Amino acid sequence: MSALSHAPRTRSRRGGDGSVGPVRRRPRRDHVAYLYLLPAFAFYGIFLLRPLAESVWISFFDWDGITEAVWVGGENYAAVISDPLIWEALLHSFVFIIFYALLPSVLALSFVAIISRIRVYGLTFFRAVLFIPYILSTVVVAVAWRWIYDINGPLNGLLDAIGLGFLTRAWIGDFTTALPSVGLIGTWIMFGLGFVLFMAGAQKIPFDFYEAARLDGAGAIREFFNVTLPGLRGEISVALVLMITAALRNFDIVWNTTSGGPGTSTTVPSYYVYQGAFMTRDVGGASALAVLLTIIILAAVGLTMYLLQEKGPRRPQESRRRTRKEVSA
Amino acid sequence: MSSHISADTVRASFGIGKKLGMGALGLALVTSLAACSPPGRSGDAAGGVSHTTITAPVTAEEVAELGDITLNVWADQGEEDTLTLLKPLYESEFPNVELKIQYKSYEDLVQTVVNAMNSDSAPDVTQGNQGYSTDGTLVKAGLIRPLDDVAEVYGYADAVGDAISQLQWSDDGQVFGSGTTYGMSPDNQMVGVFYNKTILSNLGITPPSTLSDFEAALATIKASGEQPITFGNADKTTAMQAFSIVQGALTPASDTVAWITGQDGADFNVSTNAAALDTWTTWVNEGYLSPGYDGTSPDDAAAAFADGTGAFYIGGNWHAGTISDSEEFGFIAAPAGESGTTASSASFGMPWHIGSKTKNELAAIAFVAMINSADFAQNLADVNRVPVQTENVTAPTPMFSDLVAASDELLSNNGSLYWYDWATDTMYDTFTSGLQEVMAGRTTSADFLANVQDNWTTFQDKR
Repeated sequence: MSALSHAPRTRSRRGGDGSVGPVRRRPRRDHVAYLYLLPAFAFYGIFLLRPLAESVWISFFDWDGITEAVWVGGENYAAVISDPLIWEALLHSFVFIIFYALLPSVLALSFVAIISRIRVYGLTFFRAVLFIPYILSTVVVAVAWRWIYDINGPLNGLLDAIGLGFLTRAWIGDFTTALPSVGLIGTWIMFGLGFVLFMAGAQKIPFDFYEAARLDGAGAIREFFNVTLPGLRGEISVALVLMITAALRNFDIVWNTTSGGPGTSTTVPSYYVYQGAFMTRDVGGASALAVLLTIIILAAVGLTMYLLQEKGPRRPQESRRRTRKEVSA
Repeated sequence: MSSHISADTVRASFGIGKKLGMGALGLALVTSLAACSPPGRSGDAAGGVSHTTITAPVTAEEVAELGDITLNVWADQGEEDTLTLLKPLYESEFPNVELKIQYKSYEDLVQTVVNAMNSDSAPDVTQGNQGYSTDGTLVKAGLIRPLDDVAEVYGYADAVGDAISQLQWSDDGQVFGSGTTYGMSPDNQMVGVFYNKTILSNLGITPPSTLSDFEAALATIKASGEQPITFGNADKTTAMQAFSIVQGALTPASDTVAWITGQDGADFNVSTNAAALDTWTTWVNEGYLSPGYDGTSPDDAAAAFADGTGAFYIGGNWHAGTISDSEEFGFIAAPAGESGTTASSASFGMPWHIGSKTKNELAAIAFVAMINSADFAQNLADVNRVPVQTENVTAPTPMFSDLVAASDELLSNNGSLYWYDWATDTMYDTFTSGLQEVMAGRTTSADFLANVQDNWTTFQDKR
């Protein structure tokens, strides 16, 4: 019950004269303790905060990365916001959230729901295999899928073999199918992550809950929505944060499969950041876009965590119980 | 109850992080803003680099005076064959110099070379890349040495003639195509047409020399059931390059070059280019290009062609490594239009530069002069590179004779169009994405040309 440590400290303290002092609600300030954080924080500051601050600073300049920069104020931001190509790229990113976050979560939850009802032999093996896509190098993944989606690739071969030959096409070279095709690669990668997280979470849900639900006559579906899903709230929150972040900053898969094409049908904001920083040497514009992208990602993560935070009537009950226990101790 | 723990832990750490983070962020901002004047160097270097002008070829004795030194060279991965041949030649002529060559992939090189040349450990010699973002920035920042004297003294300027203009820049790095020579390149790269000898002879077709012959051949091949052109454009670049076969036949080469080098009043939005786009999309619609080309990489397409699929492959001489069987395949320069001369996307290979910061200037000059010399040209040919100076070169294979003949033809009539994406720093995206849309029928030729010209005008106004 490590959650205890977060509960407000209501335990009475004994004063020097042995009498019971007033209830203290303020946390003790151990300033010395912060010294222990210093090494890690210095690292964090040098390699994360400083570059971040520099990006913000550079984003106010017109700079080629080498020669003297010219202060342009908010012009880079104005240029980014007024560029329809960036908006299109952002829209693609939101589509990727469906493929990188929603779809794998739903699939992984369905698997977990099924597995919680039936006994699967060799579960550890399947869990490892399903997790592999997540740890593979994305370049390897991209090359493999490029082959699968090729006009002469196995996907089209399969479609031909089962009489769906009319569907065959160059999946990532077609304006209508490129975006979902690239997105499905993300689903394949993220599914393993979701599955492993949710399985671990589901194994921690006390069996009593299921027993109680079953005694109350709950079927598989009701059991899933009333026991499994609430029990996995924390895992879902963590998984979604990771998945949504991956979707919004997606670059490697896109770059190595379609380079944003055909046309601009699979561009993402990171693609333009990369292009500005390394190809067209518009470092200021690329920084402005990167800053905006960071804000969007933070907002999306914040929103996800807010929506999935623990709320409802359980909390006060718990703390009341805890308080009582502590007082009696 | 691990679910609660993990969620709580995450949230708790965010909470602590928030307080510390805000303070630190403020601190970091303050320190970096105080320390930071505008990013980048003040413009002290541009144009004002001091260097020794040479009047005669560098001798081994002069280089020997430098003592035992290491010459640091950055090169594209594709140069490994060439430089493996060069290293022993150079080191035996200049025994006090050790060549230390670092190979980089093309993308790695063009993305890091500018910063590397700006650093304290800048290489003495490096390859650059024509265009505003790499070479333009190097010139603008004064990071590379002008090579007019070297090109003159070693006879390079005479040997390559007018084509040297593609290696020239104004000293402020703003205007390309005239001015001071900043690089030297020993080989020519061009887009042309590979053909399958068996398929063509079975259908009684001779390799086409005019665009109308080419179109007739494509129609005949299509009717016979063979694939006329094997094509892969997953990289978006290939279609832009291949399109130059048609564009070069219909629009005068000098107009295109004027537009790419940013000359006043140049215009890409002209009727001949519209006609070229119409022809090109007709080829797509007629099924002359292999299906699914946007999802096929050009390397895969070249490999399929080398395996016997398709009558033609439109590509660069760099594909000759894949399409190498001289018995089966031949190469021709772009079929000519009404002007009667051939024109297509082409330019010299990645140019060699000498860093302004080098302490071994003479050794560096000797290196750049040697790799760009007529004497070294045979070595280039032996590793399948097409030398610019072909006079005394014996072609190792019939295919290679075809490549040399096409290159000479292109150079002799100023048919090198350069590459459309050189026109502006952002043209690559506008052109490649736009052309894909035109080919797919999602944009009209008129809209595409207007977009391309808009991009050009915006860039020229900004310069």
